[in-house]
Amino acid sequence: MQQREEKQLEAAVESLISRVAHVKNALHSFIYKLENEYERLTWPSVLDNFALLSGQLNTINKLLKNEKTPSFRNQVIIPLLLSPDRDEDLAKLTEQRVPVFSHEIVPDYLRTKPDPEVEEQEKQLSVEAARIGPEVAQKQIQTLNKLCSNLLEKLNNPRDDRDSESAAMRQNKPSFNPADTNALVGAVAFGKGLSKCRPPGPVAPGHPGQGPMMSGGPTLQQVTIGGGSSQQAGKMPSSIKTNIKSAPGSMHPYNR
Amino acid sequence: MEAPPVTAMPVTGGTINMMEYLLQGSVLDQALESLLHRLRGLCDNMEPETFTDHELVYLLKGQQGNPFILRARRSLSHPTSPWHLRYLGQPEVGDKSRHALVRNCVDVAASHSLPEFLNEMGFRMDHEFVANGHIFRKGAMKIVVSKLSRILVPGNTENTERLSLSYLVELSVLAPAGQDNMSEDMRSFAEQLKPLVHLEKIDPSKQRH
Repeated sequence: MQQREEKQLEAAVESLISRVAHVKNALHSFIYKLENEYERLTWPSVLDNFALLSGQLNTINKLLKNEKTPSFRNQVIIPLLLSPDRDEDLAKLTEQRVPVFSHEIVPDYLRTKPDPEVEEQEKQLSVEAARIGPEVAQKQIQTLNKLCSNLLEKLNNPRDDRDSESAAMRQNKPSFNPADTNALVGAVAFGKGLSKCRPPGPVAPGHPGQGPMMSGGPTLQQVTIGGGSSQQAGKMPSSIKTNIKSAPGSMHPYNR
Repeated sequence: MEAPPVTAMPVTGGTINMMEYLLQGSVLDQALESLLHRLRGLCDNMEPETFTDHELVYLLKGQQGNPFILRARRSLSHPTSPWHLRYLGQPEVGDKSRHALVRNCVDVAASHSLPEFLNEMGFRMDHEFVANGHIFRKGAMKIVVSKLSRILVPGNTENTERLSLSYLVELSVLAPAGQDNMSEDMRSFAEQLKPLVHLEKIDPSKQRH
């Protein structure tokens, strides 16, 4: 009977040690990344690290709650020998973090009571709890439970329900205007509303002046950029009419 | 006289056909800060880069219908940098399921005599605008958030007026022809910017009317 408990204890401690080692490694690599690869870090990868740590802490919690785990509270650790001399084996075991098993480290590492400040706070909380009386406490518990279950329900419901509620809220603060998108794309793509010689609006000048092709001449065409006064306030009136006539064939110097 | 030997002939070709994949959207002024924050977190960690560019669009009207368009761009914040000349082809009407607008793209740098050169070649300036804003990079993707302004007096880039109360957001990738997997990456990046901005494939020809 005793042996079985001992075996259970040993197994539980082993698995606890390995889980804690995982957490330690995760923390180690995360801190290294934060300190050394600061420039290349992106928020999604930082979130991944946090998620990893949270998952590992979760497994530790599950392990401790496991039925097969004996209650650690019943075990007592008593230091048998304290010495101010450096212990090489201990140093190697703890990666140089605890080189000496002395009187200074015992209160920190073997502590089972909470810190004095924490104890003070716990005492205050229990005094407060005793003061308000059982009925008020019960009511507070019920409100808290109701709030939590509401929240859980909202989070667990399918997306469509949520979207229809939040769409109404989102409309109060739209962050983009599709009409603006079209206007800007039009301006960049073909100068809608930009050209100084054209009235504002989606009118492209079409194919002005594709007059009769002069065969045999140089390739300058007759181009008339439709002028007329500009219709935009604040612009200088520009009636630019540019006529570039192609040289007629008879001006060919070698024509004979 | 016989033709010159082949070795003295001019070298043609040898350039890779580059395609530009493009997704566009816009964001209102009041949401600009949150968009910049999100982009700074999502994109490669570098100092935020702002730019002010003056773009001129030149047209060469040919004998057939469609004019040939060239875009000349210079930086107003780095006045000694060379000009940048770009040709953008018609959007490829590939399969409709492609998530981004794909078009042929040729980019070259040019000296400061570019506008006179284009004028001599017969191009005429169709319109110009000033764009200023921020640029972010994530791998091969380039995200540009810019405010467009109309130039009131031709040639005077100080006197400008904003085109609209929104900033234009463009996500683009330059890749050799045939690499379609870029559009998947672009789409997943665009998902991360919702609901602040809806980046989508906007066909410019549909905007004309």
